[in-house]
Amino acid sequence: MAKESTTIDIGEPSTVTKSTSHAVADEKKKSFVTAAAGGGYKRGLAIFDFLLRLAAIGITIGASSVMFTAEETLPFFTQFLQFQAGYDDFPTFQFFVIAIAIVASYLVLSLPFSIVTIVRPLAVAPRLILLISDTVVLTLTTAAAAAAASIVYLAHNGNANTNWLPICQQFGDFCQTTSTAVVAASISVVFFILLIVISAIALKRH
Amino acid sequence: MKNESTIIDVPAESSSAMKGKAPLIGMAKDHTTSGSGGYKRGLSIFDFLLRLAAIIAASVAAATMFTSDETLPLFTQFLQFEAGYDDLPTFQFFVIAMSIVSGYLVLSLPISVVTIVRPLATAPRLLLLVLDTAALAFNMAAASSAAAISYLAHNGNQNTNWLPICQQFGDFCLKSSGAVVSSFVAVVFFTILVVLSGVALKRH
Repeated sequence: MAKESTTIDIGEPSTVTKSTSHAVADEKKKSFVTAAAGGGYKRGLAIFDFLLRLAAIGITIGASSVMFTAEETLPFFTQFLQFQAGYDDFPTFQFFVIAIAIVASYLVLSLPFSIVTIVRPLAVAPRLILLISDTVVLTLTTAAAAAAASIVYLAHNGNANTNWLPICQQFGDFCQTTSTAVVAASISVVFFILLIVISAIALKRH
Repeated sequence: MKNESTIIDVPAESSSAMKGKAPLIGMAKDHTTSGSGGYKRGLSIFDFLLRLAAIIAASVAAATMFTSDETLPLFTQFLQFEAGYDDLPTFQFFVIAMSIVSGYLVLSLPISVVTIVRPLATAPRLLLLVLDTAALAFNMAAASSAAAISYLAHNGNQNTNWLPICQQFGDFCLKSSGAVVSSFVAVVFFTILVVLSGVALKRH
């Protein structure tokens, strides 16, 4: 009597590895698909953000330089008013030029962060940094634009109650240039609001 | 001699596959809901408290500017002997804008409560962020334009012959400057609110 015994090698390791690698491959595929889908939509937002920043750079540099060069010298002079008007005659306009210049340089410095959000659409840190710094710079831009707007309004209309005469009657050119600068700064405020909203939407969980 | 044969059933795919898959899914779910929900709920509560503080700051600013009337006992030849917020269009804009901002803050309190109750919902937070950004810009515009006029009232402008009226209307100047400062405090609150909503929206 010869006892035959065979050990059947079930070969569990190979099937286990096969099934787990299958599962892992499936999971990897799934996560890859979701990354591509969320990533694509967020990448589009990041590109729009970058383009908005370029436009805002152009507008803020324009506003600052227009206000900086807003001088006018009258050919004649009256007894009460000076015959020269420039941005440095008004502390508010001085603040405007400096503040908008700071905003323009901030925008240039924020371009690399924007590029990082294009390249890595799912990264949260660059977008959060952009959101926080954009909010701070929004307040600075709004401050400069609004303060200059109130002075421009005063220059156009004057104030009867405080006996502040409207200087635009004499300095028409100066008034026009400063008004243009204020309008440009207000447009950049709108751009900043859009930038903040874009960053917030792109930060959202899906 | 007996022939023993046993059929060994090797569950090739099912059990090992289930063993491999199930724990991963279970762990992932438990980790995200309880962890980030608590932390976001804390942010929402802080957001609600900040809103209450901002309501106080904004309404104090509007009220102070609104009641900043002053009538001088004397009068000079060139200046009026009465000063109020409605003598300056910028201050009128300030009062109206701060009232609108306070009203918006009161109306946004329910939405803030919703974010406390449902910390993981993104729609209320996104709505609050967008509206807060607009309100921030509006508030800042009112505050800084009033600040520019206040500066002018305090210092005047030699080049344009605009006389500083604060020499005569000390009380009016004091109250209007106080209103402007309170409005800037509301701006700081708004900035923190926007950043808070942004952080709470973050994916984990």
